[in-house]
Amino acid sequence: MNKAIEQIDRLTRDAVQEVFQSMLSMEINPEAPLPLSPDPDGQIIGSVGFIGEVTGIIYIYAGIGFARVITSRLLGITEAEVESGEMVTDAIGELSNMVVGYVKSRLCNDGLPCTLTIPSVVRGQQLSVEGSAQLTRRLIGFRNCKYHLLAEVLLKTP
Amino acid sequence: MSIKILTVDDSKTIRMIVAKSFKPFDTTVLEADNGVVGLAVASREKPDIILLDYTMPVMDGFEVLARLRSDPNLKSTPVIMLTAEAGRDTVIKIAQLGVRDYLIKPFKAELLVERVGRVVDLKAKSAEGRKNKRFDDPIGILVVDDKPAIAAQVRAGLADTPWKVSSADQPGQAMDLCANGIDLVLTSLTLPNEGAYMFFQNLRGSAQTASIPILGMCVRTATADQTRAQQAGFSGVITKPIDPLELKSKVSRALALETSYRYFQQRDGVLVLIVPKDFHPGVVQEVSSHLDAELINVVDAGGDKMIVDMTAVETASLPVIELVISALQAATKLSLRYAIIGTAATKTQCNSYEETQAWQFAGSFEQALEMLK
Repeated sequence: MNKAIEQIDRLTRDAVQEVFQSMLSMEINPEAPLPLSPDPDGQIIGSVGFIGEVTGIIYIYAGIGFARVITSRLLGITEAEVESGEMVTDAIGELSNMVVGYVKSRLCNDGLPCTLTIPSVVRGQQLSVEGSAQLTRRLIGFRNCKYHLLAEVLLKTP
Repeated sequence: MSIKILTVDDSKTIRMIVAKSFKPFDTTVLEADNGVVGLAVASREKPDIILLDYTMPVMDGFEVLARLRSDPNLKSTPVIMLTAEAGRDTVIKIAQLGVRDYLIKPFKAELLVERVGRVVDLKAKSAEGRKNKRFDDPIGILVVDDKPAIAAQVRAGLADTPWKVSSADQPGQAMDLCANGIDLVLTSLTLPNEGAYMFFQNLRGSAQTASIPILGMCVRTATADQTRAQQAGFSGVITKPIDPLELKSKVSRALALETSYRYFQQRDGVLVLIVPKDFHPGVVQEVSSHLDAELINVVDAGGDKMIVDMTAVETASLPVIELVISALQAATKLSLRYAIIGTAATKTQCNSYEETQAWQFAGSFEQALEMLK
C-alpha cells in the first residue's frame, strides 16, 4: 500500500504539471499543501475515481478565481469571456479527467490495471473531503504565482 | 470546399478546444456530446473526419467506432480517437478497431491540427470575410534566408512601400518572429535540412500562424523546388533574382490586398482606368480582377463613361494593348462610352497595330471629356 500511494503521489504531481504545461502553457510547481486562500466566489473541486487493482479517487481543489483563469487558458479566451459557471465546471471536470487519466495510464503500464469513473465537479464555500479509516490520504499543494491548487489522493486500503 | 470535422465528446471544453483549433482553417466543426448523437450527426452530415472521445456516458468511443465500421456509408470515414487514457492495453484496443490515429489528452492544439492535417487537406481560411488591407497600408514581411543579400534585395525592392521587412537566417528564429506582427513570410526553399518545408509545417500547425501566407523563393531554373512548394501548399513562389514588381504583385495577391484604387478612380462622375508606367503581368491580373465590378458600379450609379488613361505608358506593348482592348470591350458590353488619353508616342505605337489603328487619343482629361459629350 505504501508503495502504491507513493507511486500515485508521484504520478499526480507529474500529471498536474504536465496538464498545466500542455493545455494551459502554465508552469505550476509542487509545494507544501497549504489551505486554499479564501475566495469570495467560493471553491470548486473536480474528482475522478479509479477502480481496479488499485482503487481510489483524486480530487483537484481550486478557488473559483483560479478556476476561471484555468478555464480561460484551456479555451484560449480571455477571463472576461468566461461567461458561465457551467463553462468553469466543465473545464475543471476535463482538467481532472486529464490528470487522473495520466495517472491511470501509467498505473496500467505498471501492472495495476484500473478503469476511470466519469468526472464529477462540486462548487461551494469551504469544501473539504472526509476520509474514512479504510482510506490512505495524501495532499499535494501546487502554486502558480498567487494561485494555489490542491490535489488530494484517497486510496482504498485492501 | 469546407472540411467537415465532427467532434464527439461529452466535455464541452474539449469540443470548444477542437472548434477553436480549426478556426483558422476552412472547416466546419460539428459537435456531438455523446456517442448516440455522434452517430446520428455522422450519418446525416457525412463528415470528412471524426474526432472521437474514448470515455463517454451513454455510448463509449469503442462502441461508436464499432458501429461506424459496420455502417457501409460511414465505415471509411477516418477517425482519430482522443483519450485521456494512454495505457498500453487501451492503445492496442484502439489500434485494433482501425482508427487512423489517436491523441492522448492532454494535447496541444497544434498537435491536434497536425494530426488531422495528415488525414485531411486543411487549408487556411481565405481572406474573404476579413477586412482587406490596402496596398499602401503597413504590412509586416519576414524574409527567411541564410543569405543576408536576399533580405537586402527585398528591402530595397520594397523601399517605396510602407511595408516593414524583417529577416531571419534560420527557421527557429523565424517562428518566434512570426508570433508578432508578421503578415506574410518569404522563405528560401533551399534552407539546409529541408528547413523550408519543416518551417512551413510548423507555421501551418500553429493556430496563431496557420493563416500567414508563405511564398517560397528559389532560382528560376529550380523547377522541381517550385513544383514541390506548390504541392506542399505554399501561397506562391518568387524567383531569384527578385523582381520588385513581381514581388509586390505576389504579395498583393497572397494577402488579397485592396489594389483597385491604384488603377481605378472616379473623376467628375467618370470612371478612369489608369494604366501604370510599371507594367507587368501582375497588373493585368489585378486590373482584370477589379474591372467588371468597377464598371458595374459605374452603371449602377447612373454613369455611362470610362476614360482609359495611358499617359504614364512608355511602351505600348502587346500586354498593355490587350489589357486596354479587354477593358474597352467590357465597357462596350455595358453600353459605356469611352475615350483614351495618351501621349503622341503612345498614339504612334498604337497606330502600328491593326486592332488599335482607329483609336482616337485625347491629350488631356478635359479633352477626353469633350470627346465624350
